[in-house]
Amino acid sequence: MLSFIRKRSLSSLISLIGLLVLVFFLSRLTGDPAALFLPVEASAEMKQQFRELHGLNDPLLVQFGHYVGSVMTGDLGESLRKARPALDVVLEAFIWTLWLAAITMSLVAVAAIVVGSLAAFRSGGFFDRFSSMISLIGASVPDFWLAIVAIVVFSIQLAWLPTSGTGSVLHWILPIAVLFVRPFGIIVQVVRGSMIGALSSAYVKTARAKGVKAGPIIFVHALRNAMLPVITVMGDQAASLLNGAVIVETIFGFPGVGKLMIDSILQRDFNVVLAAILVTAIAIFIMNVLIDLAYALLDPRIRH
Amino acid sequence: MKRTMVFGALMAASLTAGISPAAAGSGPIKIVLAEEADLLEPCMATRSNIGRIIMENVSETLTELDVRGKKGVMPRLAEKWEQNTDGSWRFHLRHGVTFSNGTTFDAKDVKHSFERIMSPKNACESRRYFGGMNVAINIVDDYTIDFKVDPAQPILPLLMSLVTIVPEETPLEFIREPIGTGPYKLSNWTPGQQIVLSARGGYWGEKPQVTQATYLFRADPAVRAAMVQTGEADLSPSISQLDATNTKTDFSYLDSETVYLRIDHNIAPLNDVRVRKALNLAIDRQAFVGSLVPDGAVLATALVPPTTLGWNPDVKVFPFDPDGAKKLLAEAKAAGVPVETPITIIARTANFPNVTEIMEAIQAQLQDVGFKVDLKFVEVAEHEGYYSKPFKEGRGPILVAASHDNSKGDPSFTMFFKYASKGTQAGFSDPKVDDLIQRATAAVGDERAKLWSQLIAYLHDDVVADVLLFHMVGFSRVSERLDFKPTIATNSMLQLSEIGIK
Repeated sequence: MLSFIRKRSLSSLISLIGLLVLVFFLSRLTGDPAALFLPVEASAEMKQQFRELHGLNDPLLVQFGHYVGSVMTGDLGESLRKARPALDVVLEAFIWTLWLAAITMSLVAVAAIVVGSLAAFRSGGFFDRFSSMISLIGASVPDFWLAIVAIVVFSIQLAWLPTSGTGSVLHWILPIAVLFVRPFGIIVQVVRGSMIGALSSAYVKTARAKGVKAGPIIFVHALRNAMLPVITVMGDQAASLLNGAVIVETIFGFPGVGKLMIDSILQRDFNVVLAAILVTAIAIFIMNVLIDLAYALLDPRIRH
Repeated sequence: MKRTMVFGALMAASLTAGISPAAAGSGPIKIVLAEEADLLEPCMATRSNIGRIIMENVSETLTELDVRGKKGVMPRLAEKWEQNTDGSWRFHLRHGVTFSNGTTFDAKDVKHSFERIMSPKNACESRRYFGGMNVAINIVDDYTIDFKVDPAQPILPLLMSLVTIVPEETPLEFIREPIGTGPYKLSNWTPGQQIVLSARGGYWGEKPQVTQATYLFRADPAVRAAMVQTGEADLSPSISQLDATNTKTDFSYLDSETVYLRIDHNIAPLNDVRVRKALNLAIDRQAFVGSLVPDGAVLATALVPPTTLGWNPDVKVFPFDPDGAKKLLAEAKAAGVPVETPITIIARTANFPNVTEIMEAIQAQLQDVGFKVDLKFVEVAEHEGYYSKPFKEGRGPILVAASHDNSKGDPSFTMFFKYASKGTQAGFSDPKVDDLIQRATAAVGDERAKLWSQLIAYLHDDVVADVLLFHMVGFSRVSERLDFKPTIATNSMLQLSEIGIK
């Protein structure tokens, strides 16, 4: 197992370095941060001074050398816009995103597995058709629309929840509810499909013939075998949440990493972009390792 | 017994109600803004997302511009000023002023503040207002300071309204905790969430009614409007026109943004004045107002709003005259001007409300009179590349849709950059324009206003410099518990001391 993790870490490290090199040069291709930091009226001399101050006048390779040097010592540089360490800025935001993603995905996993399994158990029945409709709507509804409607209904009309922001448990409910919908819709479908396969297999028929009750059949015998594709899709969905839920963060004023990353790209705050990519890439790598471990746990064929 | 208690409670309630007008009128408020301040650096306060929070609230200036009345430049940290015989300016500073860190304000702080702005060790934005000037500062005594500027600056007192004063101990590098002489001090800053300013004791001026201001940031205008409606915030200086439906809380105000199409006169067919006139005649500006552009917007004849010195009431908006435009184009074509060359309008995504629809309508109106027009939307960084010099080699004829903000009362903040040969966004070069700008910049009083008026007329009627469109209005939502009307300066500065609590 350890050697497996070691191998994965090494290959991930290589792709991470490749990614950082690529982003370093690509981001610099977008142009000059001075033009965005300073107002349009700023003189060429002021822009020149700004570039000098931030080492942007050096040849690209020299800048890259400096960057690599400081990354080696754990220094990811300073944010141009915020005049503070880029890593601090990113970690501050990433904690929020991590919590948001973790809570949302946990709720999605429980809800989707229960609903999907029950739908599969009586496939073609009322519950199946009902849940299919709900999950289809969930998977296709645009989240910006859902977010605004949720605010209008729950904050303005009913006045149950705050419109946006942070500060109390109540503030988390709407963003999580909105983020919940799409992955839930997608994963219910996957669970259902996978369960139908598992439920029609020979060992389930045997169990039924032996008089095992529906509950244990679904949740003990079939589910474990049906989980492998579900975990893959859940990993995908979780990764996209870890990259930041830009729209939900923007509408709810939630200080996550998605909006930070978009703003930093638009403002050419290169160090923040690189730090954000580094942090999210590491998080996604860790998550992938966890998914592999989960595979191994669930399926002895992989373990051995 | 029970009845007595109810009676007593009622009495108490009515008493409180009776007293309340005197007892009310102070307390904390919450303000929701569209864009977070990424820095709270005093020398960056001329950038609107920073200035809206700290300008004159935390960091004060020697002078300030009266945007509510017509008093012009007014005293703030300077009590009075005069021009010496050698052309330098002498400022007499206010006594008994302290910074929020307890130190006393004097001439050394003013000198340091100015030198800090001009230092190459930082990227202070306010430096741009002093480009090309040589400034020598002389401290006469603790409360008197001379500024000798070469070339002489008749508007130096106005320029000083842009220089925020920091204590002399402030390092040259950017700071994160601004110390100022203002009525408020920074008491909490949680990046991404909130900034809190609290009123401080020991302020030299009148005690403001707002005791504490919490700034929140929401990018979505509908959410900002909803927050004031639900009471989560008391004031949102900018909401969308669509949400501005409640006459009790929602106000429109001229917000100092002027929208225009900058013409690149260097490339045919835009180098021909008939073609530029035809562009102007082809657009039905009035039809936009009340539809895509909010009611209350003013058709522009200059790049500066009507409250600016030297704004010229005699310059008339180009009429909507498609036949006239067609005729001019035909004339130009007959004279060999390649009027059929496709012209590209470059616009910036989300630059101002309805920018897409407005630009599409303008494109259609220009096409109606025979122009070939493409429309291209770009992000802010790319837009800047088209808007500012050096312009790209080998470019085609381009109109850049842009929005320009000048709430500072004097055209000099606009004219040099947009119209002088060396201006970074100037689409042409005209010696008469250069001369007028130079003379107006150096003039004072009525002469100054007259020269700016002349320039505005010449640019509009003779050069046909650009396609001026609208002075825009913004919408704000103000809770009924506040007594506050936004002004033309609200975009760049929001003085908490001007907010009353009912």
